[in-house]
Amino acid sequence: MLSPYGLDIIESCLTCKVRADRIFCDLPASALQSFESIKYATAYPKGAVLFVEGQAPRGIFVLCKGRVKLSICATDGKTLILKIAEPGEVLGLSATVSGKAYELTAETIDPCQVNFVKREDFLRFLRDHSDACFKVAEQLSDKYNNACHEVRALGLSHSAAEKLAKLLLEWSSKNGEALKQEPRLKLALTHEEIAQMIGTSRETVTRLFADLKKRQIVQSKGSTLVIRNKAALRVLATNG
Amino acid sequence: MESAIETRCLDCVQRMDRFFCDLPAGALQAFDLIKSVASYSRGTVLFRQDETARGVFLLCEGRARLSVCSETGKRLTLRTAMPGEVLGLSACLSDGPYEVSAELLDNARVAIVKRKDLLHFLREHREACLHVVHLLSQDLHVAYDRVRSVGLGRTRRSRLQPVH
Repeated sequence: MLSPYGLDIIESCLTCKVRADRIFCDLPASALQSFESIKYATAYPKGAVLFVEGQAPRGIFVLCKGRVKLSICATDGKTLILKIAEPGEVLGLSATVSGKAYELTAETIDPCQVNFVKREDFLRFLRDHSDACFKVAEQLSDKYNNACHEVRALGLSHSAAEKLAKLLLEWSSKNGEALKQEPRLKLALTHEEIAQMIGTSRETVTRLFADLKKRQIVQSKGSTLVIRNKAALRVLATNG
Repeated sequence: MESAIETRCLDCVQRMDRFFCDLPAGALQAFDLIKSVASYSRGTVLFRQDETARGVFLLCEGRARLSVCSETGKRLTLRTAMPGEVLGLSACLSDGPYEVSAELLDNARVAIVKRKDLLHFLREHREACLHVVHLLSQDLHVAYDRVRSVGLGRTRRSRLQPVH
């Protein structure tokens, strides 16, 4: 079925071809059957807000296709992007389990397919299916590790240059380019969004990129960034 | 300094007030079989950030400081863990290294469960697994609060203020 946003919608988890590769989705048949009966498959355009920080938890959102920006906001409107969630991730988990307000805002950055499950249905599902419960614990652990990593990166880095260098090295290690001499990465975020990921201003990010290019540490080709001097970037990531 | 103590969770009078420990009798009996209890003096480091996760540490008595550390040795306190809390859970479940360091703030009594035994226990006892899911959710809320204060705090003081 083609949705209005050009997505090839996966109608059923039971017939999903990518299920086996995704931690939460790779459930035994009985759990999958139960999940199928409580989920609502929905398509969203780019820029849709799935939930807002501070909102009472309605349920979880399993990201099937597309990417979602997870951010937190200060009272003065300053935003910090915590993570770009990839397909297979379950969003709104901890709030749904604990009953506390969503602690993040989730906004789609691509057209997305999302499977939504209401809070009460999800909690009952967890009580009935221990395999699913275990997978949820694993997902929460990954999210916790990510949050600790974020605290470390934000709280213990000396400078914006150090944070940007760390972010670029982290991105290049994720897409299988880490072992290459000159890793390439697709910059899917604007300078403004990168600034929100490292807790600095757009102007600083633009200045830092210009400096990195001038020193031939990176080179940009359209939206592709080539890390030309990995060693120098590592030094920046360690010493700022 | 470490010394072994024999204590059954089934006999613990504080069990009911502690989220993880308030388990059905069957699960508690199984937990008793896989845990070892030891007492440690104040200042002992239960585990260090980036060490391979060996197991979890349930604080029966005493508090622990959880902190993160930079490559240069700079340290930031994440929060203070209280009696009844299980430390090292997320590292054990994700099979990664400990993401924080845990140092005892008091003389403490700690129940230790090896990673392999914990995973087996959680697969066998659904109630315990549900408790762990709740504990991890609470931990995550606190961690996000910390991200907010560190990343969006206006002043250096508010950024470095630990969460209790």
